[in-house]
Amino acid sequence: MSDAVGIHIQSVSKRFEHRVKGEVYAVREVSLDVKPGELVTLLGPSGCGKTTTLRMIAGFEMPDAGRVLIGERDVTHVMANERNVGFVFQSYALFPHLTVFENIAYGLRVQRRAEAEITTRVGEVLTLVGLSGYDKQMPHQLSGGEQQRVALARAIVFRPRVLLFDEPLSNLDAKLRVAMREEIQRLQRALGITSVYVTHDQEEAMAISDRIAVMNQGEIAQLGSAEDLYHRPNSVFVAGFIGRASLIPARIAARRDGRTELDVLGRSHEISVTDIRFAPGDQVRLVLRPEAVTMASHGNGGIGGTVEARHFLGEKTEYRVRIGGHSIQIASQAESFKVGDAVTVLLPTDRLHLLPGES
Amino acid sequence: MALRRGGIGRDPTLLSTLVVLWALLALFVVYPLVVLLIRAFVDDGAVSFAPLASVIGDANHRKAFYNSLLLATLVGTFGTLLGFLFAFTATRAGLPKTWLSVFDAITLLPLISPPFTTSIAIIFSFGPRGLITHELLGMTGTSAYGLGPTLLSETLTYFPIAYLTLKPILASIDPNVEDMAYSLGASRKRVFFTITLPLAIPGIANAFLLLFAASLADFATPLILAGNSFPVLPTQAYLQITGLFDFKGGAVLSVLLLVPAVIVYLLQRFWVSRRHYVTVTGKVGPQSGYKGTTGPARLALVGACVLVAIFVLYFYALLLYASVVKAFGANHAFTLAHYHVIFTEGWRAIRDTMIIAAFGMPLGGLFGVVVGYLIARRNFIGRDALEIATMINYALPGTIVGIAYLIAFNDPPLALTGGALIIVACYIFRYSPTGIRATVAQLQQIDPSIEEASHSLGAKTGETFRRVTLPLVLPAFFAGLGVVFIRSMTAISATIFLVSISWTLITVRILENMTELSLGPAAAFSVFVVLAVFVVTGLVSAALRRFRAPGTAPVSVFGT
Repeated sequence: MSDAVGIHIQSVSKRFEHRVKGEVYAVREVSLDVKPGELVTLLGPSGCGKTTTLRMIAGFEMPDAGRVLIGERDVTHVMANERNVGFVFQSYALFPHLTVFENIAYGLRVQRRAEAEITTRVGEVLTLVGLSGYDKQMPHQLSGGEQQRVALARAIVFRPRVLLFDEPLSNLDAKLRVAMREEIQRLQRALGITSVYVTHDQEEAMAISDRIAVMNQGEIAQLGSAEDLYHRPNSVFVAGFIGRASLIPARIAARRDGRTELDVLGRSHEISVTDIRFAPGDQVRLVLRPEAVTMASHGNGGIGGTVEARHFLGEKTEYRVRIGGHSIQIASQAESFKVGDAVTVLLPTDRLHLLPGES
Repeated sequence: MALRRGGIGRDPTLLSTLVVLWALLALFVVYPLVVLLIRAFVDDGAVSFAPLASVIGDANHRKAFYNSLLLATLVGTFGTLLGFLFAFTATRAGLPKTWLSVFDAITLLPLISPPFTTSIAIIFSFGPRGLITHELLGMTGTSAYGLGPTLLSETLTYFPIAYLTLKPILASIDPNVEDMAYSLGASRKRVFFTITLPLAIPGIANAFLLLFAASLADFATPLILAGNSFPVLPTQAYLQITGLFDFKGGAVLSVLLLVPAVIVYLLQRFWVSRRHYVTVTGKVGPQSGYKGTTGPARLALVGACVLVAIFVLYFYALLLYASVVKAFGANHAFTLAHYHVIFTEGWRAIRDTMIIAAFGMPLGGLFGVVVGYLIARRNFIGRDALEIATMINYALPGTIVGIAYLIAFNDPPLALTGGALIIVACYIFRYSPTGIRATVAQLQQIDPSIEEASHSLGAKTGETFRRVTLPLVLPAFFAGLGVVFIRSMTAISATIFLVSISWTLITVRILENMTELSLGPAAAFSVFVVLAVFVVTGLVSAALRRFRAPGTAPVSVFGT
């Protein structure tokens, strides 16, 4: 859609008074540009500042420093009711005393729209979220998923320039969560509304987002596509938060022709990755994704290890294997290894990411 | 992440509302109390404790002080025991729903009755020609006056407060916790003494203090039943003023009453009320029923409750009977003469009471909702002070408030005594805390994000309040309004000082009837009040159900 606008967050900070720690930053010097029509997720553990950032975009909280722009307009000190922002709450925050129709019509009534227009537009948006015929229901008569759809309909019916989601799916059960997130994605793409989405669920974030901003302790740790974050995390925190990873210390032995020779647990291992940040002799850490590591019976080359734990999960079997004083996780198709078995671990040669070693 | 929006500076509506509220509270709460203290302690512009010393020096007054404390302690003890018995039976004996509704209705009766109801019934039952003492047991020369009858009357009147306090506490104990104790091998008795009772201790302490305060403040019961041999402070202060026209003495006596009242209030509010155990731990799984009682124990519990309930019902039946016979104890011929009397001679009292209630109800309801909203949702300087100021007249015994109003508003430029306004004001500022707390409770159940949702959809603060907040606190408004009505019909301790030739009240008429020994009209008035309160609370409850925000807990008119 051509009239979509971007969101620009510029060095925004928000402090609050902590009972024990005194003044602490909920959000510290966060900058983020959301492109028109894009869906960016703020992802992080609880208390990382993601919700506070979202609420500052909505105008529920005012930043202590920095600016918030929606399109070209500086809205830093504009009240929430003048920002034209749709917000979907974690609790849905449906008006309990109003019918589904009146909940959705609320924003239009505030704008003093004509009755005929309200009826048409509410009807359209009810169809859009698959709730035609629910007009006269009261919120408490609806299931969680239906309430969620009403909340969504209410947020989009007045055609906001920006749509904000605060953990909208966390109150739904697992199956419904997957269905609803696909629905949200479909609607957001169809309407082309610039959106910011907050969640602590990395799978949800990876499934729904154009880009993800991983937040930690009030700051953005890394911003990128799901693939970027998974394959090229820039920190131990991101590596551990997006998917699972085992970290193994190593040393750069040599670099030549687009290949790097590593010294891993006293063995030489050549990978097809070159990271210009590192020079021969540098200490690094290997980021090993469970599915990238393979294992075989003892004596097939590779690094010798012992199976510490085994979890059969159906589509795969997860093992924890001890190699050279470190435990690593391996997701394998092989089901036959048992706890205590001596095995050989084969590290990947291409899908391998390096992080600086512990200083 | 509750968000408190807006300071005073940015919000002219908030500022003007606060100015009006504080002006009203200063006039009708702070000023009378200050005047009372000045009257008690200042002589000719100098602080003097001579009046206090002389009151304490009077043996009769000292006796009244001890008697008040003794009576309050006994009422607190027996009332709490009775309340616990009912609450435990209601929550643990596995009674069918209809039984519980009957229980609730019977325990509600004393709470909505005019002040002399049980007193009249006790005189009818245990007096010189009493139904039980004389007719049944053939005793002569018995007296229905003194500590015993007063204690019986007050216990039966106030034990429902303990029941209402303890029932939710016993019901909130997760049965799984008791099941856990059983699974660890504990017997029923052991579970009761090691799990149930300890978890209920804060509630029991709270109930005791509430009953203690209620008995301490009770004016009507001792006035009728205590007699000359058992003076208590509220009646002593009343007689000092109305009998001897000694305003200073009355002021000093009410200050004497103030001391234990304040201590009990502070204990209740700041110590006991913070000691509630929360037994909701983690996710509430499937729950079994309580298994607290065996067959015989259950029979004993239910039997005891039924006996008390029958006793209460007997009192009300007696009242009804006495209102339709010529002269109870002497001539038991059927007559409607007493009702004729109350609707002719007594009509003025009924009319005045209704007019005063009609003005007090909407104003009291509105006051409760506005103050409750400000306390729950707004952040401003002096919020705690506002909350405390609105609680003062509620927490003080009515006798103190009545005497304070009488002294403060007797002289120009604030000569309000004798008018209806002062009675309306007394009700509003004395009985609004129920509405305030109902509003706060209602708003606490409503996620602040609902108001934020309204903001994000473009509505300004005023529009949000009108479209979202106000409809959601409507139940609290009706609760506040209902309480003002009940109290208009039943309260006497404060307003006895404020009635005049031009404005009187039903409760005061009942007292006059009692002192003239025309017990028939007194009984008829009482029946009328009970019926009127039942009808109106029924209407209010219907309104509460109609306007109750779906998904929120119901609001009760009978906040304790």
